[in-house]
Amino acid sequence: MVKVSSINELKDLFEMVNTNHDQSRPHIVICAGTACQASGANDIIRVAKKYILQNQLLDAISVRITGCHGFCEMGPFILTQPQGAFYHQVTIHNINRIIDAVIADDYVEDLLYRDPKTNIKYFKQDDIPFFKKQQRTIFSKNQEIDPIRIDDYIANDGYKALYKVFSSLSPEKVVDEVKVSGLRGRGGAGFPTGVKWELIAKQPSDDGKYVVCNADEGDPGAYMDRSLLEGNPFSIIEGMTIGAYATGANEGVIYVRNEYPLAIKHLIIALRQAREMGLLGENILGSSFSFDIRIVKGAGAFVCGEETALMRSIEGKVGEPRQRPPYPVQKGIRGNPTVINNVETWANISFIINMGATEYAKIGTDGNSGTKIFSLVGKIKNTGLIEVPMGISINEIVFDIGGGSPGDAKIKAVQTGGPSGGCIPVSKFDLLIDYDSLAKAGSIMGSGGMIVMDENTCMVDVARYFMDFLKAESCGKCYTCRKGTQRMYEILDDISRGKGTLEDLDLLEELALVVQDSTMCGLGQTASNPVLSTMQYFRAEYERHIIQKRCDAFVCKELTGAPCQTGCPVGTEAWRYIAHIARGDYEQAYLAIREANPFPSVCARVCNHQCEEHCRVKTSGGEALAIRSLKRFITDRIDPSIYKPERSAEIQKSPVAVIGAGPAGLTTAHYLSLLGYQVTIFDSEVKPGGMLFSTIPSYRLPQETINKEIDSLLNENITLKSNVALGTDVTIDQLFEDGFKAVMISIGAHKSKPLQLENEDADGVYPSIEFLKAYNIQGEQLARGRVGVIGGGNSALDAARTALRQKDVESVTILYRRTREEMPAFAEEIEAADQEGIDIQTLVTPLKVITKDGALSSLECCKNRLGEIDSSGRRRPVPIKDSEYTIELDTLIVAIGEDAGVDAIGPADSSNIDVTKWNTVKTDDNTLLTSRPGVFAGGDVVTGPNTIIDAIAAGKKAAVMIDRYLHGEELDQPVETELPHVYIEPIEVESEDLSIIDRAESPMITVEKRQKNFNEVESVLSVTAARKEAGRCLRCDLEFTQPEEVDEECLVNEGGAK
Amino acid sequence: MKESRLSSDTEEIVHKHDHELGGVIAMLEEIQSQHSYLPESALKTVATETGRSLVEIYGVATFYRYFSLKPRGEHLISVCLGTACHVRQGSMIAKELEDQLGIRAGETTPDQQFSLETVNCLGACARGPIVLVDGHYFSNVKKTQVSQILKKTLKGLDAIDVTKDPRVFPVKLRCPHCNHSLLDPNYLIDNHPTVRLTISFGEKHGWMRLSSLYGSYNIKSEYKIPVNTIVDTFCPHCHAELVGSSACAVCNAPMVPMTIYGGGLIQICSRRGCKSHIMDLANSICVNCDNRHTCKLIKPEKGVWHCEEYV
Repeated sequence: MVKVSSINELKDLFEMVNTNHDQSRPHIVICAGTACQASGANDIIRVAKKYILQNQLLDAISVRITGCHGFCEMGPFILTQPQGAFYHQVTIHNINRIIDAVIADDYVEDLLYRDPKTNIKYFKQDDIPFFKKQQRTIFSKNQEIDPIRIDDYIANDGYKALYKVFSSLSPEKVVDEVKVSGLRGRGGAGFPTGVKWELIAKQPSDDGKYVVCNADEGDPGAYMDRSLLEGNPFSIIEGMTIGAYATGANEGVIYVRNEYPLAIKHLIIALRQAREMGLLGENILGSSFSFDIRIVKGAGAFVCGEETALMRSIEGKVGEPRQRPPYPVQKGIRGNPTVINNVETWANISFIINMGATEYAKIGTDGNSGTKIFSLVGKIKNTGLIEVPMGISINEIVFDIGGGSPGDAKIKAVQTGGPSGGCIPVSKFDLLIDYDSLAKAGSIMGSGGMIVMDENTCMVDVARYFMDFLKAESCGKCYTCRKGTQRMYEILDDISRGKGTLEDLDLLEELALVVQDSTMCGLGQTASNPVLSTMQYFRAEYERHIIQKRCDAFVCKELTGAPCQTGCPVGTEAWRYIAHIARGDYEQAYLAIREANPFPSVCARVCNHQCEEHCRVKTSGGEALAIRSLKRFITDRIDPSIYKPERSAEIQKSPVAVIGAGPAGLTTAHYLSLLGYQVTIFDSEVKPGGMLFSTIPSYRLPQETINKEIDSLLNENITLKSNVALGTDVTIDQLFEDGFKAVMISIGAHKSKPLQLENEDADGVYPSIEFLKAYNIQGEQLARGRVGVIGGGNSALDAARTALRQKDVESVTILYRRTREEMPAFAEEIEAADQEGIDIQTLVTPLKVITKDGALSSLECCKNRLGEIDSSGRRRPVPIKDSEYTIELDTLIVAIGEDAGVDAIGPADSSNIDVTKWNTVKTDDNTLLTSRPGVFAGGDVVTGPNTIIDAIAAGKKAAVMIDRYLHGEELDQPVETELPHVYIEPIEVESEDLSIIDRAESPMITVEKRQKNFNEVESVLSVTAARKEAGRCLRCDLEFTQPEEVDEECLVNEGGAK
Repeated sequence: MKESRLSSDTEEIVHKHDHELGGVIAMLEEIQSQHSYLPESALKTVATETGRSLVEIYGVATFYRYFSLKPRGEHLISVCLGTACHVRQGSMIAKELEDQLGIRAGETTPDQQFSLETVNCLGACARGPIVLVDGHYFSNVKKTQVSQILKKTLKGLDAIDVTKDPRVFPVKLRCPHCNHSLLDPNYLIDNHPTVRLTISFGEKHGWMRLSSLYGSYNIKSEYKIPVNTIVDTFCPHCHAELVGSSACAVCNAPMVPMTIYGGGLIQICSRRGCKSHIMDLANSICVNCDNRHTCKLIKPEKGVWHCEEYV
């Protein structure tokens, strides 16, 4: 290797390397950063080489192996030059096609990156949203450089900065440049780098000075330092050399984590090459400046990222921090002045020198110049490393670059700054990120970890996790840190187990403040941030854990048990019936279903299956078990009469009135009747069932299924009075006068909300509930011709699909103001509508109903685009100016939501029942008691339009509360979490990889067979499919149950007795 | 006997690092990399040799997470519990491994097969949950894959079937000096002609044959080469010594260069037991030549195969 010993020789070297470096040749660039290696990049490299050698393509193409490019989610990936194409998740089987395409200057279209949500295909890497919004000034070098070849670095402006420094800048001038650039320490605290350099430059020293690169990247969740070291080690070496020149240091140390073997390997090679080239060592470039760098490996202690602890560790000692001052610039390694900067800071130095400090200072915002690399990880679609200018908003990072949530769970917060940082809620995502704004929001920049959290992340658990981390990593020197983190952990742990009290929260806060105030080093002073920030923004979540004993993210083990069970509003032990199905015990499975749910056959068809939402198979990245389909499998094959409900022998004297025979009312009546109460149900319709039969189309839920299920719930204790409406035929006062001791109001939400548009009362415009009832109850077919349906919920889909099946209908169009992704209807309903030929138009807002002779003739609409992200984390639809157009319609169905029919109850001053501003009955959340003693309410009349299973749950709860009330017991009793307690032996699954088995989908009858009739669309799983599906269950219950121990001694005794 | 060897090895390590930055930590790291843990006797030797108290050495050994005072199993499984892995349910994976292995994190199975540990962050956060087994990364690990990982580990994660694996392929190698083929069609390994080289180490001088399958590490030699020995390698035709321009990035031993028929260069580490190797797909030896920047010889476009300048 050529050794350069003067500035001129360095200049000659630049020229020589540049002439040898032919960038115009076709290249495939293979990322071999750690993340891509984890996904198989090494195999890709090997097979690429094999293909090139065996087909003698060496003249036609070059291979460049590089460090990390940042889009780690998509690894292993390949970038091609000169096309700039980006191929992701490449396999050893398709790499040959890419090589052939590059040689032919072509693309392999089917392997190009497609956005998984929009399905848009991108030909160029730079057009992909993940890259487009970034400003990759430092990080973009990674893809140009093979990190083990100094020539590659030199060909990409490497050592130009050193050349500039040596040929024209004095050490003082270099320090000035760094000061003017405004660069702040990228390790997290943000101390101005130039100021630090100035301080050490002025320090006298007889025994030399040190420059140190802090590569002890201990923040869990941050890995940009690793990627810089792996991908471009020379930039760190050049930066440190310039730093040493500027500050008068002669020894450099890179303190790097032992967990980063590839970074260490690349550093060793890079240092050796720099030395061989004369760019490190004695008399660099013929000057009197001598400088060399050695690597010191850390051995896994988070606190060693703190500068004083780091220095002790470099000295080979226990890494305990010490009091400052003296600062490291005064008294550092072995007592000598030492300047410590983070990897990313060092990587910025040559960049500043090359572009000039004033230019550099223009990037970012005032006082926060430059770019910052963040590691965007956690619950986010595009995970990886991103480089953005300071002052960008969190919204832009999370939604524009990160692409938002990977699934349908909503993003809740980002955690920045690792264990020393805090959580920022989605409502504050418009925050412009810099050192100061983050600190103000209760977090810190830290080294740039940005962990995105969604609804399935529990904030108490996050705080507990960090405290668990910190208590283990606290060096123990300061008592308040050692004990404080321990005690905070214990309190958080108690809360996560449902053993916390509200007083604990005050104690926690007090402790957090004490630890913050009374510890010596950065670890202790910031250790409280995770607790304080989560308590500030997510206090309600803490309180839910303490009071309701609920972990809404289904994370805290003792409050969650099996998530499918806890996720079910009625607490169905889904795991239990699934386990029975896997074993072939179908009757047992039925009993498990029926014990919790009085409407198993109904729910097997139309439940919104919250169990599946929380299924661990899904929340850990797979497809949820098809629990509802499994339920259907059982309810279709087992005779309900095998279940004999437990009935109390007691006869209760107090009669109870239930108003409304929907799922909530029927459930209350059923459970009260089992306790021995005489219950009378009043309902305004001709037959019981409420929403079940009046609005759910029978192609989803056949009438006979409802009838059978309701029949099985009724018994001699229940009297059903149909055609009796509250308000007109009966009042609450009357009921009490007639001797009823308690009343349950469960009249649902049967009034469609109006659009409040001009001419909405025209002929041909129907509220969806009215439209559905007309067909379901009277068999009246109101829709004709061209039908428009406004709305995106299940009610809209029901109306549209019912309309399509009516005889005079030509076409059906759904108009929805947001996009498909945001439609609240079940995905399977939307898909079925598509199949049946319903036109779904999104991003449309209706403006005006246009009439002709008093009847609807068309609808004026406008187009929307997606605007800013609102506080719910969704993009708000914004009307596009001058985009108005009209759609000709003969029928318009309005399905934008339903109101509860609270006016039937009468005004609050006469009925004594308060209502909310949303026109629902006001009840106590915990007891369902209304403002009037003895009157309870549940179901849609309380919640507004909601699911059937939630109504059933309310009905069950009301029965318990009414019973307590009539016995004079305390209504609000402490809540206990139901944990799995029945042990069911798991079956041995064959050793195939369960994660690759597809979810079983219930078969559907073909479109031709269902389009114009009301035959049930969904049918039932086969035995094989059902048992295979049940075999995918992770059996979360087994964490809580144990096989009954067989008492061997007992067996012997029994045997002996015989 | 074994004890005394351990002690002399340790002494050597201590003297190597004694005055270096990193000092004791570097010593302990090297000792651990040799023994997979820190034997008590080694800690005592470190204390004696450095003149520090055993308490101080013990302090360092227990302060840092990397060190283990207990022997570790054949296979080391590290489960990442960094924040990104945590929110993707890494702890569930750790629990599953604990259950399947029947040990807690930090312990070793009674049969000494597996040691399980949890680590704070492995820095592959984008693909969590991450499990690292014997240096191999498993990413996006699901609970149901755990048993597979254990099975694969027992089979050997590096184990490949050289006859079937698509990543393995034959290469024809030549001497970079005389350009003679190094392949010996009369002596087969993996059912393929072998790469014949002459080697010498210590007093021994003889032949060595390597599998010509790229991806196979099978070799035969006239004399058994003890692990860790660096061998000098020569072309059996022109007898020139094969020494590359750079040393092994893993163990610092010299690399042995051989040119590939059709273009490119392979370098393998000259230390027995070190699997480090580099395959450069370039057109000639010029690319890797020490003198490539100053060489004034006429180079055809694709470089040359044989060059007087090449040392």
